[in-house]
Amino acid sequence: MEPGPIPTFQPRLKVLNRRQALAIHTAALEILEKTGIKMEHADSLDMLAGAGGRVFDKDWIRLPAYLAEEALRSAPRQIALYDQLGNKTMPLVDENSFYGTGSDTTFTLDLETGERRRCILADTGNFAKLVDGLENFSFAMSMGNPEDVSKVDYIYVYAFAEMVKNTNKPIVFIADRGEDIAKIYEIACMVAGGEDQLRQKPFLLNYSEAISPLRFPAHVMDRLLFCARKGIPICFPSGSNAGGGAPVTLAGAMAMGIAENLAGLIVHQLAAKGAPFLFGPNVSALDMKSAVVSYGCPEWSLTQAALADMRDEIYGLPIWSFSGASDSKVVDAQAGAEAMFSIITAMLSRCNLIHDNGYLEYGSTSSLEMVTLANELVAMARFFTRGIPVNETTLALDALERVKNAGPQAFFLMDDHTFENFEQALYLPKLLDRSRYDSWEAEGSKDLYTRSNEEAKRILTEHQVTPKDDGVLKEIDDLLKAL
Amino acid sequence: MSYQTLLDAVIKGDIKTATEETLKAVDAGRNAQDILDQGLIEAMNIVGDKFSKGAIFVPQMLRSAKTMQECVEVLKPHFKENAMTTKGNIVLGTVKGDLHDIGKNLVGMMLEGAGFNIIDLGVDVAPEVFVDKIKEAKADVLGMSALLSTTMPSMPLTIKALADSGLRDTVKVIIGGAPVTRKYAEDIGADSYAPDAGSAVLEAKKLFNLS
Repeated sequence: MEPGPIPTFQPRLKVLNRRQALAIHTAALEILEKTGIKMEHADSLDMLAGAGGRVFDKDWIRLPAYLAEEALRSAPRQIALYDQLGNKTMPLVDENSFYGTGSDTTFTLDLETGERRRCILADTGNFAKLVDGLENFSFAMSMGNPEDVSKVDYIYVYAFAEMVKNTNKPIVFIADRGEDIAKIYEIACMVAGGEDQLRQKPFLLNYSEAISPLRFPAHVMDRLLFCARKGIPICFPSGSNAGGGAPVTLAGAMAMGIAENLAGLIVHQLAAKGAPFLFGPNVSALDMKSAVVSYGCPEWSLTQAALADMRDEIYGLPIWSFSGASDSKVVDAQAGAEAMFSIITAMLSRCNLIHDNGYLEYGSTSSLEMVTLANELVAMARFFTRGIPVNETTLALDALERVKNAGPQAFFLMDDHTFENFEQALYLPKLLDRSRYDSWEAEGSKDLYTRSNEEAKRILTEHQVTPKDDGVLKEIDDLLKAL
Repeated sequence: MSYQTLLDAVIKGDIKTATEETLKAVDAGRNAQDILDQGLIEAMNIVGDKFSKGAIFVPQMLRSAKTMQECVEVLKPHFKENAMTTKGNIVLGTVKGDLHDIGKNLVGMMLEGAGFNIIDLGVDVAPEVFVDKIKEAKADVLGMSALLSTTMPSMPLTIKALADSGLRDTVKVIIGGAPVTRKYAEDIGADSYAPDAGSAVLEAKKLFNLS
């Protein structure tokens, strides 16, 4: 019998054993059963009470474990996101990892001057266009809260429209309340060609948050219910950061974040069984000096890997996460180090939807250069995670034999085996510099920030986004004018 | 009798020793206001200074503030006719639409530690609620915070509400929060801006002409 090909082991990070995972899960269920949650949305509170929850103090309610177990059973194991042209580009399932930008920064680094300034709507367009042109970015988020919109109540509608105009990749979007999410949904239907088409091939996913500890504001739940009923995929990660919104110890912060996530899932599945819901809270750490929620800390990467382990052991739902961000104020060595740390660990732990790539200043500032740099770091991580294929071709005994027999002048670089395999066998950097000193100097002694800046500018100038139909664009503009 | 042991205990966050020392000072006949000013507030000045320099962490600073509060509770019955003098009344809250309060709570604890009387209205505070409470408490300063750039516009609305109710000239306004900048504070006519809790204390002292 012929032996089959040798399977390639793909490097994998695991940080929890099964007992740890089960203990955290049990603690999360205990929080729901004993501590309860504060549900400030009347309909959701009624729904939970009707399903078996026990209201005990106005809008505080305790939830029996079976509600969470039932919700986990009915939520789908796969969420397929499509691009705006109708291609299934993001099957959120199994071990697939997809990277994208983040939302809501107040400031951005100006591409021309390097100055940190308030975000404007055109920045959201530029980030979306850059994402469209970067091969390792799979989805766009707004990256900024633009200060130049005419009606701040509809800021997220303008941002969504701006993204639609500048990318065809899937969009992860923010909304404020029931009213603006309905407008965003209208735009999405225009792009997809109707409600049915959008439900069939969703290109958008909503990001909403409960407020840690254990608080579920009414306007947040309006969004959650809207998404559930319309079949818009949603992630619902509260900010249960260690020491701030949650206990300082990571296990406790995770347990509370999971409890909040499950409470959201319960309402979601009660409203619409089988509606798509992405698992996972944001468990970062509050910095103990500045009191900012850190975006470059090892804690967040560790809890994320742990949550991925819990997905594998218990939940089975696709998982939400973050990477490629930094607490540094500029694109410097700290930014690069922190971004790489979270990018590689998110991939090694097989998180599915990985946002916030391109953040600086703990999420307060966005940078086109940082996004461009993250694109390269994701490529490095992908190369590493693919592992080492072992077969006749890669063992290359015949190449060795050839080079040995070809005499003292022969070397591997000129062998056919190298020519035929080097592009798959090796990682070929684009932005990271390996040139010899003199040529680096001759090119202007440019550091990575400068090279990322030039590459971002080049993409924004040269990249062509497949344009949307004029009729659709007009419909969108009419909707914006009528706001 | 020096307050050194009391100072050290507050700085260390040793509640037991600090409250015992406070009682000892009272028993030794020291004036309650003097214990507050020379012992507790002085200790918190040192703590605030260490915190600003990055020499101690937030939980250590807060533990000192908590220690001070426990000592104030011990002292309270010993003020004649509740005549405890504070450095002034400050109304605090996050603005309408904003539900995030960790930063605001931190500012409140530090201001209290520095000897101010804090009236904390919590989160999601509407302009008219700020106005009512400022009147009621005869507050000298209003501190507002916002975490989101989308809720920041509630700040100028609150300042306008102060003006409309004739309070603007008697109340100083200080603002802070992640998206807030010095320029924004100037643009909306706030009197002061603090990027973090440590500087909120320094700015508040300036507003009260205490530094």
